[in-house]
Amino acid sequence: MSGGDADRAPAPAPVAEGAAGAARAGGGWRARLGGLARIHPIYIVLIALLVAIAWMSPVFAEPAGMMNFLRRAAPLMILAAGQVFVIVAGGFDLAVGSLVTLVVLGSALMIDGDPTMTGITLAVMVGVGVAVGLVNGAIVAYLKVPSIIATLGMLISLKGVALSLSGGSPQGYLPENFRFFGRHTFTDIPLIGILPVAVIVLVVFGALAIWLMHGTRFGKQVLALGDNPRAAELAGVNVPVVRIGAFLISALSAVVAGVLLGGFAGVSTDVGDGYELQAIAAAVIGGAQLLGGRGSVPTAIAGALTLSALFTLLNLLGFPKPLRDAVQGLILIAAVAYTMAQRHRRG
Amino acid sequence: MTGGDETAAASAGEGAPAFEMRGITKTFPGVTALADVGFACRAGEIHALCGENGAGKSTLIKILSGVYRADAGEIRLGGRPVRFDHPVEARDAGISVVHQELSLLPDRTVADNLFLGREPARFGVIDRGVMRRRAREALDDLFAEAIAPDALVRDLPLAQQQVVEIAKALAFEARIVVLDEPTAALEEHEVAAFKALVLRLRDRGVAVVYISHRMPEVFELADTITVLKDGRHVLTAPRGELDVGAVVRAMVGRALEDFFPPRAETVGEPVLSVAGGANDRIAGIDVAVRRGEIVGIAGLEGSGKAALGRALFGLEPFEAGTVRVGGRDVHPGSPRAAIAAGIGYLPEDRKAEGLALMQSVRDNCMLTMRAVAGLFGRPDAPQTRPAEVERMMRAVDIRAASPDQEVRLLSGGNQQKAIVARWFARDPEVLIFAEPTRGIDVNAKAAIYRLMRDYAAAGKGVVMISSDLPEIVGVSDRIVVMRAGTVVGELSGGAGEEDVMRLATGHTEVAA
Amino acid sequence: MTATVGSAAGAGRRLPRIPVPAALILGGVLAWAVTMVAAGQPGQISVDGFVSILQRATALGFVAIGQTFAILVGSIDLSVANLVSVAAVMASFIMQGDPAMIVPAVVAVLAIGAAVGLANGLIVTQLGVNPLIATLGTGLILQGVLSTSFQNFAGAVPEAFQVFAYGQIGPFPIGVLTMLGMAAVAGLTLKYTVFGARIYAVGGNRDGARLAGIKTTRVVIQAHMLCSLGAAMTGLYLASRLRSGAPWVGRDGVYDLESIAVVVIGGTILAGGRGGVAGTIAGVIVFAFIDAIFNTIGIDAYLKQVLRGAIIIAAVAAYAYRMKGHVA
Repeated sequence: MSGGDADRAPAPAPVAEGAAGAARAGGGWRARLGGLARIHPIYIVLIALLVAIAWMSPVFAEPAGMMNFLRRAAPLMILAAGQVFVIVAGGFDLAVGSLVTLVVLGSALMIDGDPTMTGITLAVMVGVGVAVGLVNGAIVAYLKVPSIIATLGMLISLKGVALSLSGGSPQGYLPENFRFFGRHTFTDIPLIGILPVAVIVLVVFGALAIWLMHGTRFGKQVLALGDNPRAAELAGVNVPVVRIGAFLISALSAVVAGVLLGGFAGVSTDVGDGYELQAIAAAVIGGAQLLGGRGSVPTAIAGALTLSALFTLLNLLGFPKPLRDAVQGLILIAAVAYTMAQRHRRG
Repeated sequence: MTGGDETAAASAGEGAPAFEMRGITKTFPGVTALADVGFACRAGEIHALCGENGAGKSTLIKILSGVYRADAGEIRLGGRPVRFDHPVEARDAGISVVHQELSLLPDRTVADNLFLGREPARFGVIDRGVMRRRAREALDDLFAEAIAPDALVRDLPLAQQQVVEIAKALAFEARIVVLDEPTAALEEHEVAAFKALVLRLRDRGVAVVYISHRMPEVFELADTITVLKDGRHVLTAPRGELDVGAVVRAMVGRALEDFFPPRAETVGEPVLSVAGGANDRIAGIDVAVRRGEIVGIAGLEGSGKAALGRALFGLEPFEAGTVRVGGRDVHPGSPRAAIAAGIGYLPEDRKAEGLALMQSVRDNCMLTMRAVAGLFGRPDAPQTRPAEVERMMRAVDIRAASPDQEVRLLSGGNQQKAIVARWFARDPEVLIFAEPTRGIDVNAKAAIYRLMRDYAAAGKGVVMISSDLPEIVGVSDRIVVMRAGTVVGELSGGAGEEDVMRLATGHTEVAA
Repeated sequence: MTATVGSAAGAGRRLPRIPVPAALILGGVLAWAVTMVAAGQPGQISVDGFVSILQRATALGFVAIGQTFAILVGSIDLSVANLVSVAAVMASFIMQGDPAMIVPAVVAVLAIGAAVGLANGLIVTQLGVNPLIATLGTGLILQGVLSTSFQNFAGAVPEAFQVFAYGQIGPFPIGVLTMLGMAAVAGLTLKYTVFGARIYAVGGNRDGARLAGIKTTRVVIQAHMLCSLGAAMTGLYLASRLRSGAPWVGRDGVYDLESIAVVVIGGTILAGGRGGVAGTIAGVIVFAFIDAIFNTIGIDAYLKQVLRGAIIIAAVAAYAYRMKGHVA
């Protein structure tokens, strides 16, 4: 990730003097991304982990190894990029894991191996994602149900829908053209050797999310309403629409992640399990503040990659899978404790 | 109201201090908050502590109450030196601070709150009977018979909550009570009752430290006045030797008359008119605001003046009547509709309703423009007029290290200016200021008044809703007085405070 | 006070204040009775029928009582499901079918519970970690260690210990009585003791409580310990009912999310400081009623799950939507 910390603004100018120049010269987010003066600690941790992995298993240092690693990490990175919108808006989206499962099971059922159905199936799944995001957002924005409860209810319901559709076990199968996104890899690419389609999807979705959060008024309004919804409302922000938008992006990230996972992990009833908490963990490790107002997409994506790198490293070290979960818990606590200590020191 | 004066003056001159602070110095990284400040208060004395925000008042109080430790200097209680490492130690020594932000638990009863942390109990089980009885006694002691010990705090009006807070302080056997801006959130009529309560405290022999920005109150209550400026002690003198002008000059270094800007020179056609406006809080509202004028809305709590502002901005919309802005019929059914109709609103509670505190000054100022410009463009696209916003940020003179500084780090006055800049950039036909100077210091107040005047002079309408009478009569070109949810009269700008009060209370005789 | 907590802020003013717990249970009983009559099984409407519903509520009841303390104090605990698994496995692993080991096992399990609660409380108060993240982390750690050590049912509980789940005093199962007894003790503690007052004080206004001389970190830690003890009790109960503990019993029961859901449905606000155990128990019983109703009308397991999610949302929405402010 060459994103940099998009939250940081260019070198400050006193308000009383040339504020106009400073901001105009910035011309928006592109210039701000250039301001890498202060590097978020997540990138240092990430690089350290990658170096360790490469040292343990040199194959990872090769472009192909790297690309495969990115491909496996892509779903979580995409989910983190979506989740961070909801977290910055002050909420949680616990429904994404179930939505991933629903997308995978639902697609398999709908396509059932017929390649001509792929287009319509993808469209339907996007439609499902839009619907779930709208419903989540509307329940929170209009019914005033705290998102942790609203999306928890959605998690339970969607899992039920997914299992009910498939009768409790995976049914149908996904044709090659559906699995293209998660599984296919372009070869003979100059410089990097191979290029998995999943990585292209990741780059496109990530760029879109970065643009939305850091390059649009929508992103600024998500930050403002996560910080103080009442103040945002009184300044004219359309709070329900912006809030629903955040849930919409998160739900769509789950659809995209689901399509990728269906591609390379295949059809199973637990394919999405646990992703909701991992996505939240990734965003938090990437510096997003729970309950809103602070956070950035590049660091959330980096947080997801860091988690994936950590799992890979533990795997190389021969840790059994359950212990990897335990280490994830430890890292999560440590990361937030570190952030709190930093904030405390800065006052 | 002024009954206890003679006895107070007599007691003020004698007796050893209840507490004495000597040579207090406190530095924070980069700032000297207090330099060699001395301060003392006798039992049965009301000692007003005056100074602008940043003068060092709250630091001094925090040192007295054990929140901070002084770098140098000493605190003596009843002549003996003491040292507090924790607020609880100060409280146990008889020092209670009643803060602006009340520390009550809204969902617990009055009695629960009074005895919080030291409930009468046997084997860990609270003795409700004893607690209720002692709460009753404590409240009766403050002539607060109207407050039931079993009432939930959330059901009490703010003024009664404040009484509970003071009863709580006294229940801890406080001999020294610090009241930090106690009337800032109270309405005029509540203030009267509150002042009587403060005098009662004094008469019981409590040493009262009274911090307030409201000069009339200070002069009505205080036996002695101390002024701090920029972390230094400026003066301490009996009230009789001072007048408001002298204190203000000591605080800010200039005279009172400079606070208020000149009144409107020319007034244009109506820019806002409401006819028959009503909802379930207010009714029969007929108000007009013309271009170039500041219309002050005055009234007691519950008079509907706050509700009028909220109705105009679509927060609690009118359900009947017509609203016209710039000659067009408009329907402000929500804040967004109101903004689209050309109405802007500065809320009375800056932190809760005005600012996104973790965002930058600049982002806060840009927010109104970004909110109306559609979601999917650059934050600083031309239609958000970033240059205009920045021009306004300079025009209102926000003092910040940088436009990218988080707005939470600014002083109250500068925070208010950021909200002003946000609305000036949006440029609504009518701008409503709700309690525009609540809790900000004198210099910032003067600046806000000037900005309001400038905005009106540019051909806009300004509505100022305020509980601060001097501000109402000093700034307004016209004063609309409300009572019981409706408009009861209109006065010209030069009217006296008594005239306003007479209309607001409905009584012909009003104590000034 | 705990009896009327549910009347949502501001909304309850004009409406008569019906205690939420009573309303929930009444609604549940009515819906259940109507369903039974409609389904042609009016015979189910009996003490035995009701007791069997309480029995369904028992496992969730213990952990939800604990969760009430965590939420009341302004925290939350996502690690309970994993702790339930740990407790169930450790109970049956230590007992190994030997009645002599019952007491040591119970003591050990409760000690583990207390230790986990202490750890949660310390991470939240001393490291300043948001409780959602802190307990999510400890939950992952617990589950990781447990699943590494045990892959399947471990050990067995002796017959004597199965009395906890299957024994009866008169028509009432011992497990149900224990759970209701614990609920009563918890409710009375909250209402009548100094400790209870401190829980509400710390949850309602932490700074205010600190200024009143209350050791707020200690109260938060105590609340977390009680919460974890509740989860440990659920683990013991499940070990008794299943006759052995497996490392997935907690997750399968979704005790983390369901305990939070019933606490909130019972009228305790997530921000802390308002609510009580009565509401929680009502919420647990309502969940059991819903289960029973679905079973009677033959809704399949998955659709049941869909409806359950919807009901959680609807129940909270029922008293949240009138609120004026914003919610995220």
